[in-house]
Amino acid sequence: MSVFMDLNLSYTEDKSSLQRLIETAAQLGYSTVAINYTFELTKKKKEVPKPAQIKELFEQLPIVQGRSRPIRVLNRLTVVMSESSHFRSTAPEYRHFDILALQPTSEKLFHAACMTYDVDIICVIVTEKLPFHFKRGSVNGAIDRGVMFEISYAAAIRDSTMRRYTIANAVNLVERSKGKGMIISSAAERALELRGPYDITNLALLFGLTDQTAKEAVSSTCHSVVRHAETRRTGSGIVCTTKVCTETSDQQGAPVDADTCEAPAAKKHKTAASEGVTAEEGGAKATSAL
Amino acid sequence: MVRIKSRYLLCEINVTDKSRLLLLDDRAVMTAVRTAVARIHGDYGAAQCIIGVSVKYMNAHTGMVFLRFPKRCYKLLWSALPFITCMETRGQKIPCFLNCLHVGGTIRTCQKFLIRYNTQQLHRLLPKCKNEDEKHVRTALLKCLLPGETRETSAEEADSEEDEVV
Repeated sequence: MSVFMDLNLSYTEDKSSLQRLIETAAQLGYSTVAINYTFELTKKKKEVPKPAQIKELFEQLPIVQGRSRPIRVLNRLTVVMSESSHFRSTAPEYRHFDILALQPTSEKLFHAACMTYDVDIICVIVTEKLPFHFKRGSVNGAIDRGVMFEISYAAAIRDSTMRRYTIANAVNLVERSKGKGMIISSAAERALELRGPYDITNLALLFGLTDQTAKEAVSSTCHSVVRHAETRRTGSGIVCTTKVCTETSDQQGAPVDADTCEAPAAKKHKTAASEGVTAEEGGAKATSAL
Repeated sequence: MVRIKSRYLLCEINVTDKSRLLLLDDRAVMTAVRTAVARIHGDYGAAQCIIGVSVKYMNAHTGMVFLRFPKRCYKLLWSALPFITCMETRGQKIPCFLNCLHVGGTIRTCQKFLIRYNTQQLHRLLPKCKNEDEKHVRTALLKCLLPGETRETSAEEADSEEDEVV
């Protein structure tokens, strides 16, 4: 039995339903889940959402089915991008999230997301007909960089039309990528929209994946997404800056925190390397910024 | 003699409200499966669903179901199962979903798995027990073994991994 992950549980304001969602995921045997916050830059809303503290949700995290460890809950941000200005890769708000995902809506942006942007996941639109075609070049570029494509299945369960679009878009992508670098996640809003990992691997056969890649889509590929996210946050996985908790830290605003403490993570590594200072390798060394 | 091979799917029916599980019967499950397959795979799927597909066992208290599918098309039929969102029984719609736990070649392997799974569930529930009486009953339950079951769970686990045909 391998480790299963579901990297997309939609965030809802309702705490009890979110709790039930995570409990159901643990019961189904997912050992890691990510709560997804969608961010779309419109005129009304310009604030990047702040992730909820998981400690507030649970006093004790539910134990995963068939294991003795509690479930691991991550935070994830999905940026819906219809213009290239919508995604600022250095924004300090993004640093509160463990995983960063991007949902491009045009071919140009898709290409840019695949080739240049520093993200972990590229979401494939499943609720409507794909507005562009996947180019093999950009898809391969993303796979080479370790950026994965995500297909979510909750929309397919909800509605018949969505199901057609989901399968059509998924088949289209699998044709281009040969099933490599794909993850399948739920995007579930309610507990009843989740499905078990074995069901998902079998469902993925409808998307044109082989047995092997289908299984990887819910286990090992998700694992590499999480690893990729960790390295993105910690300057190639060599240097990691953590904040030493002090009394003043509670009074400071969150964005200020990010600027002073976490933002230079990647830069620090670069300067350290260029000056010839030996960066301590083989894991994260905490250097306090305060 | 060569026997007709089939696959047995051990599925768990997940509902939000446990008490409504008791309303379900095997016919409701069968209808739900048939309609889902017909919706996803059309007439071809519906045709595969006529012969050799049945609900072999149903436990309304724990929500466990054994589904029997012909071996040649069990993957096709299984791929329709995630799209079941509710079951209809006695004029009521019960929102639920099926979670497949095990795929076996014989009912026997499925039964073995189910016994082990249920023991696991009891272990999971034990820390949540509120009062001493409940704890007492649960530990007593865990101690008693079913005929044919051994204490060597680790060895058994290794065996059943081979049986699994996922």
